[in-house]
Amino acid sequence: MVTALWAIFLCYAVSRVAIGYPDPRRQHRGLARGEVAFISSAAEAMYPAGGPIPSSGLDADLPGYLERLLAASHLHIRILLHLLFFLVEHGTLLFPTSGRGGMRRFSSQDVEHRVAALDGWAESRLFFRRVVFTSIRAVLTMGYFAHPPVVRSLGLAPLAIDSPICEADLLYPRIGERPESIGMTAADLTAPSEGIPLPQDGPLYPGFAEPPP
Amino acid sequence: MSSVEPGEVRVFAQYDRDLTLEADVVVVGSGPTGAVAAKELTDAGKSVVLVEEGPPFVPTEYELDGGLSMARTMREGGLRTTRGTIMPTMQAIALGGGSLVNSAICNRAPAFILDRWCTDFELERTTRADLDPHYEAIAKFLGIAPTPENVLGRRNLLFRDGCNALGYDSEPILRNVRGCRGSGECFTGCRSRAKQSMDISYIPAALRGGARVLTSVRIERILTEGWRATGVVGRVVTPFAGKPSHQVRIHAKAVVLAAGCTATPVLLQKSGNLANRSGQVGENLQFHPGVAIMGIFPDPVYPRFGATQGYQSCHFLRDGLKLETLWAPPAITAVRLPGSGMALKNRLADIPYSAIWDGIATCNRSLGRVRARRRSLDPILSWKLHPADVPVLTHALWILAQIFFAAGARTIVPGVHGIAPELHSLKEAEALRDRPLRATDLVLAGNHVFCTTRMHGDPRLGVVDEMGCCHDFENLYIADTGIFPQCPSVNPMWTAMALAHRSAHHIAQQI
Repeated sequence: MVTALWAIFLCYAVSRVAIGYPDPRRQHRGLARGEVAFISSAAEAMYPAGGPIPSSGLDADLPGYLERLLAASHLHIRILLHLLFFLVEHGTLLFPTSGRGGMRRFSSQDVEHRVAALDGWAESRLFFRRVVFTSIRAVLTMGYFAHPPVVRSLGLAPLAIDSPICEADLLYPRIGERPESIGMTAADLTAPSEGIPLPQDGPLYPGFAEPPP
Repeated sequence: MSSVEPGEVRVFAQYDRDLTLEADVVVVGSGPTGAVAAKELTDAGKSVVLVEEGPPFVPTEYELDGGLSMARTMREGGLRTTRGTIMPTMQAIALGGGSLVNSAICNRAPAFILDRWCTDFELERTTRADLDPHYEAIAKFLGIAPTPENVLGRRNLLFRDGCNALGYDSEPILRNVRGCRGSGECFTGCRSRAKQSMDISYIPAALRGGARVLTSVRIERILTEGWRATGVVGRVVTPFAGKPSHQVRIHAKAVVLAAGCTATPVLLQKSGNLANRSGQVGENLQFHPGVAIMGIFPDPVYPRFGATQGYQSCHFLRDGLKLETLWAPPAITAVRLPGSGMALKNRLADIPYSAIWDGIATCNRSLGRVRARRRSLDPILSWKLHPADVPVLTHALWILAQIFFAAGARTIVPGVHGIAPELHSLKEAEALRDRPLRATDLVLAGNHVFCTTRMHGDPRLGVVDEMGCCHDFENLYIADTGIFPQCPSVNPMWTAMALAHRSAHHIAQQI
């Protein structure tokens, strides 16, 4: 009897964790298929289409951002981020949303249920749950704001700045390169900043500027 | 390539075998204190090796996205937190240390704080008058000056206006900046090359004096013989990934640890619990925990324009509070906003109309400790906000709310659990003053870290003496904020540099 119950539980656990996720539009290195589905569905719930900012969380390609963030992170941070995704994706088992299907995994729920699930984490009396929400919102928000149209629509895109060439630029190569790659001499030094405030309507940093029509 | 020439910077791509060097002094850590020590010692004619675990960053390497910038320039990807009371805290990993990504705030420790240090910790030569010559020397070198009015931006000026309306003292923040353009990008690296971070100021000066700088080298152990330190040993590590390779061994007449308040005690612990006859290594961990409020104004604030942190109020310093303006990359700023879904998007749209101001608190009752992780040099930080210190932080929130409404804010977003997400009047904000709050209700951050190798006149109660020399070793010095006996109540960089400046001159006489 106990063995049978364990078998049923294991089947359920495997199906919940590994089966039924859609194929992502593209492969994301370091992210499982289920994680891509979770990130996309959380992005859609956190930053829905419409409203004052035209871009949605789906437009912002948050799985792509998380892929880059994971690649830039140390192992134990990567582990923590994977745990975070798992926790919110399957946290509906412990903290279901109200209504039918409230215990389904997060990414399988409709948008209203997902928003309710996120609000449940955010407004919980348990500090731990609020920390989880803050963490998941932090990584999603960082990804959302890495999408140039979002910061551009808010007037927060970085401006192009011509960095003066100073003594240090003759000393340090780009990371991973050798000093021979610096390719500058004392003759290339430029005058330091004179402290002229940046113009509010100055040209944007490459990559944040509006693409030509 | 087995030797490193005087005045040379060695970067990761150049290491092709194990390396052994000799020097008068090896300095571990290239942040503000290590860089000052290295430059002053080379100026005194000593041969110096400065070792840094991180790589040098040039402006083309700066990542403007807040999250990716933290992942590249901060230890543990900028996601380090304390245990106990959970609070994020960051430590940079880059040539120049925290100076690359801090907002360049320079405050002298108040005289009454230094007097208290002297009285309570049996120190005799650490009054403000003792430190002033060292503060001055650093100010002259770095061009420390008040933030110019023309780059304050509306976000900073509104803070000034609010303080003025309430009769609170406030002033432009002194910073180690020359030619600020008000880009608000201090936290991701100053593309204007205006911030005088160590990588463009003290370290080039040390190199001119003949120092050798090893980047991408993680020191793992201090070498000793009896009661003398004889050098350090470590490994070359790949930038960002930290994968170890060639061994680096540096023999020196004196060792200066400037690896930071959380890394230095770990290094001592991993070296066989060195310098710890007092039992104080890694103990007494203190922070300046901070809280912040976002205020929304009726007219655009253009918050991305203006000095990152350009204005402050020390009016409540004796109550344990320092208040200041703040700006961070938009992604980090947005993380503070409550809610999700369309409500969150609507709040994001308010960011161009917003300002963020914060308060940092003196919490001398809130203590913790630093311990080394197993098989790692990353620290475990245990720290608990003492219940008696919570009212100091809630008082900060209440004062900030007053300043916001006095400056004309239409709404404030306090980010406190149990308080409405938006408050629209001072009357509503009284909840911040009147409602009893717990530590877990607050969103805290703590980036000033202190006291883990504190100085004390009594060797039984402290790790180092006033000159930063370990009581247990005649030539092992510590020169980071770990030696502070208590938190200084204001931003610590300038004070830590002044102490390192003094210590370097002392070392130069001793060896």
